[in-house]
Amino acid sequence: MPLSNVYAIASKDIVFESFDGEAVVLDLSNGKYFGFSDSGSKVWQALSSGVGTEALIQSAAGTATIDAAAIETFIAQLVEFGLLAPSSATPLPSSDDLPAALAAASEPLNVSVHDDLADLIIVDPIHEVEEPLGWPAVKQVS
Amino acid sequence: MPRVTLETLPDYARFLIAAAESAPERFPIQRTVRLPGLELLAHLGPGVLADALGQAFIEVKDDRRDIRKCRIFIGHPGIAGMPEPASWGDAHFTEHSFARKLAEAGLRGHHFHDLDFWQVYDPERRAGVQLMRSADAFPPWEPGAPLRAFLHWEYAARGMRLTHAGTLGLGGEGVLLAGAGGAGKSGTVVAGLLNGLDSVGDDYVLIDLDGGVRARPLFSTLKQDPRGFARLGLEGRLGTGRPLNWQGKHVFHISEIAPRPVSASMDISALMVPHIGDSKTSSIEPMPRKDAIIALAPSGIAQMPGERESGFRFFSDLTRFLPCYRLSLGTHPDEIAGTIRDFLARAA
Repeated sequence: MPLSNVYAIASKDIVFESFDGEAVVLDLSNGKYFGFSDSGSKVWQALSSGVGTEALIQSAAGTATIDAAAIETFIAQLVEFGLLAPSSATPLPSSDDLPAALAAASEPLNVSVHDDLADLIIVDPIHEVEEPLGWPAVKQVS
Repeated sequence: MPRVTLETLPDYARFLIAAAESAPERFPIQRTVRLPGLELLAHLGPGVLADALGQAFIEVKDDRRDIRKCRIFIGHPGIAGMPEPASWGDAHFTEHSFARKLAEAGLRGHHFHDLDFWQVYDPERRAGVQLMRSADAFPPWEPGAPLRAFLHWEYAARGMRLTHAGTLGLGGEGVLLAGAGGAGKSGTVVAGLLNGLDSVGDDYVLIDLDGGVRARPLFSTLKQDPRGFARLGLEGRLGTGRPLNWQGKHVFHISEIAPRPVSASMDISALMVPHIGDSKTSSIEPMPRKDAIIALAPSGIAQMPGERESGFRFFSDLTRFLPCYRLSLGTHPDEIAGTIRDFLARAA
């Protein structure tokens, strides 16, 4: 998938918070949570605020583990998860401290999906529950 | 039978509230429940729900805070003037779109399809309706925490939050125990109570963040599956003669095992995420806040209809307020309680 010059948050249902520099994103439409590694949090924050992909790749050039291919793969994941979408906005430059922040990160680019309870938010709760357990135990597809 | 769509949903909600408010005298029973900052007046008929309103709450005795009043009508077509509940007419239903449509009209609501069970609330006027097909046509979990959705909406409108978590503490200070079902919250709360610690609730507590994190009690019920009930020594203490609930669990009240009367509030100084450990002894280790919010928020948000984004923001603020720990549970209830007691003593 070719990279877009710039991305934006995919919809108003995508909300996020930061905890000690680590991002957690919630997709309100389906109840999925996404937890980011430290480097992933920096990249998410940059991309979601409109920093251009070229500027981001340049900011990561001094790091040992985050190359252009890793960023491309990571962005593809975020697009696939419905968190980011290509944008036609003018790309913003990266912040002055982004290269140092990426160089200081100890974890590779990663986003983990937490969807244990996601179906509770999108299913018809009622027809999909395990009868003996009831809501909120979602019926598992066998 | 009328059918409701997303387009007609706000009008239907207002219709139900107007129908109930037009004739409150037709509801045979009025029951007042006094909760933190809230006087809830329920209009309903006799039966299981009326009994539950008298048993399931920990009522406030001397609350001098800003008390607001709300009225909830629990009705069915057997009460004159109350309509047959409508069915959902859309093939596609999501909780999120349902809640969003109502919120755009300043309303809150929930619909349980199988029973055509409706709960609608107007937070501005503090009036709500629970409409059922008949007096006993409610979901089986309703009596354990009756009117939970209305409390959620009312308190959320005031910046507070019904939180899916347990509590344990001592001397007015305590910890919040968070996590999905099966993580060990309830067993930990019972273990603590049986060993001299205090709690302001298991399963659901009211949290406010005004000047710190404070938990207040709402519901008095505790639950244990038969295995946990036996492991905690409750068979001898409470007996086994009571009927199990819809989940096959024993249900009892906090006053039956608490060492002292439940206090009006507990200042929360830490967030703990319990899990069943692989050691005989318990341990408490620091946990990243990112992981703690993912343990705390999903079940609380999923079990409460609507207010999803405000819930995420609220639980995020709560998590940032508190140090977060992973609690690995040992095998003995008294040892688990001792570990938490030692933690509280060190934190004091």
